[in-house]
Amino acid sequence: MEIHDRAAGGVTIVQLDGNLDTNTAPDAQVHFDGLANGGQTRIVVDFGSLNYISSAGLRVLLATAKKLKGMGGQLRMFGLNDTVHEVFEISGFSTIFSVFTTEAEALEGF
Amino acid sequence: MILEESPFRARWDLLIAILVVVTGLVIPFQVAFVRNVGVWGSILVYVLDLFFFLDIRFNSRTTFREHGLEVRDPNRIARRYRRGMLPWDLLSTIPFDLLLLPWAHLVLGGLPVVLLLRLLRLGRVIRLQVILRRWQRSRSTNTGYVRITRLLMVVFLLVHWVACGWFAIAVVEGLSADSWVARAGLADLGIGQQYLRSVYWSFVTTTTVGYGDIVPIGTLETAFAIVVMVVGASMYALIIGSIASLVSSIDSSKAAFWNRVESVNQYLRGRGLPPDLTEQIQNYYDYIWDRYRGVSAPALLKDLPEPIRLEVLFHLTKELIEEVPLFRHTGPALRNALLMSLEPQVHVPGSYVVREGERANGIYFVSRGTLEITAGPESTSHGTLEPGDYFGDLSLLLGERRTASVRALAYSDVFLLPSHEFDRLKAEYDEFKEVLKVISSEKTEKMAELVIEGVIL
Repeated sequence: MEIHDRAAGGVTIVQLDGNLDTNTAPDAQVHFDGLANGGQTRIVVDFGSLNYISSAGLRVLLATAKKLKGMGGQLRMFGLNDTVHEVFEISGFSTIFSVFTTEAEALEGF
Repeated sequence: MILEESPFRARWDLLIAILVVVTGLVIPFQVAFVRNVGVWGSILVYVLDLFFFLDIRFNSRTTFREHGLEVRDPNRIARRYRRGMLPWDLLSTIPFDLLLLPWAHLVLGGLPVVLLLRLLRLGRVIRLQVILRRWQRSRSTNTGYVRITRLLMVVFLLVHWVACGWFAIAVVEGLSADSWVARAGLADLGIGQQYLRSVYWSFVTTTTVGYGDIVPIGTLETAFAIVVMVVGASMYALIIGSIASLVSSIDSSKAAFWNRVESVNQYLRGRGLPPDLTEQIQNYYDYIWDRYRGVSAPALLKDLPEPIRLEVLFHLTKELIEEVPLFRHTGPALRNALLMSLEPQVHVPGSYVVREGERANGIYFVSRGTLEITAGPESTSHGTLEPGDYFGDLSLLLGERRTASVRALAYSDVFLLPSHEFDRLKAEYDEFKEVLKVISSEKTEKMAELVIEGVIL
């Protein structure tokens, strides 16, 4: 999996490419921790190129969201494919994460 | 109008049943033993008549069931009663003997004719049949008790009537030195003694014991004794048969259940299972018996037509429906579909509902008890699940193995929505996903913590 960061105003957009699973989750965790520890508390995750997310990936996102919230920030996301979207909806995590359809919507008012 | 299943009708039936028995006891007793009943004895009879006139009035207004429907049309109720029991009820209630009061001293074979005419009132006994049938149908009474009541009433009335008849025979014979009463030395004794000895003979004969201390000699006595023997033998058969079938039917479900448990136990002993596991199984059956009277819900439900099954399920799972958020947000169609798909499970303390490493098989809804989430080789606790909680959704949605186990701490009832049913409902009801979304948002924090701790159920 590849992780690319972009800046948009004071917000960091993290683009995830490939699969966020048990193998790649530790790298992602390190990456998100790095951003948060560097003072980036407003993060938008771009799911547009993510194929698959496992429980390990979910764990990374939940832990990051919790951490950012504790620092006064927030984790937003957009571009979820149907499968990921369904998992988030049914498991109820879409209420924790702030899920948006497009990048513009995700950035609005952030 | 009086509803057939109203509390008033039930209480009135009980009163009438008692009064029928009183009638059945008093009138033959007066005929055979008292004979000169006096004013109060007659007043008692006429007061009883008043109740039965009232009963006729109530009967002509009591609803009845036809093809399972309660008929409330007053005309139909009245017509049915007119064509059915009314003539009989009138015959056994109208005091025809009043017409004979001017000739009150008329005697037939030593017995006052007025009193003999009163024997028509014994026809009221038929009402017991109607009342018992109504009791049997009402849901609250155990049919076993109704049968015992009927048996006791039949036995005691019959024995009483035979005793009265037996004494009346002696009266017809003029209580002469040849009659059994004189031979038994009862002629000069009080009514109580005479009645006691008559009942004694009645019991001795109807139960086929036949000590032979009181024996028939005259033609009348012999003929009567023959009839009593025939009736007695039949009654004896009835009693024995009824009691045998009662005993087996009252306990049949219990016996069947514990027989099954015993055969399981024998098998387990034969296979040398560890005692604590055997005890757990024993506890499970105890709980099933306590809570469900041994009836396995799925087996019972399979026999029922779908609408009734839904009603039963709805009732059985009322607590669940109130407790589990899932049902709070569903419409009736989806709720019914869910109820039909849920599989009830009972877990004893210590038993595992799901285990770490398993693949998802559906979503579990807790309706009763307490369950603990444990994970890892040390069985580290990750909190408990209470009625209203559910689990199993994440491993199902993510298609992953569970990373934790769920174990019952107390006796727990859970309902499993199997994964194929979950998929079906998701496909058939758009509403289902919306509902899941709403309810999952209510427990997100707890779930999120569990996921962060690495618990996937």
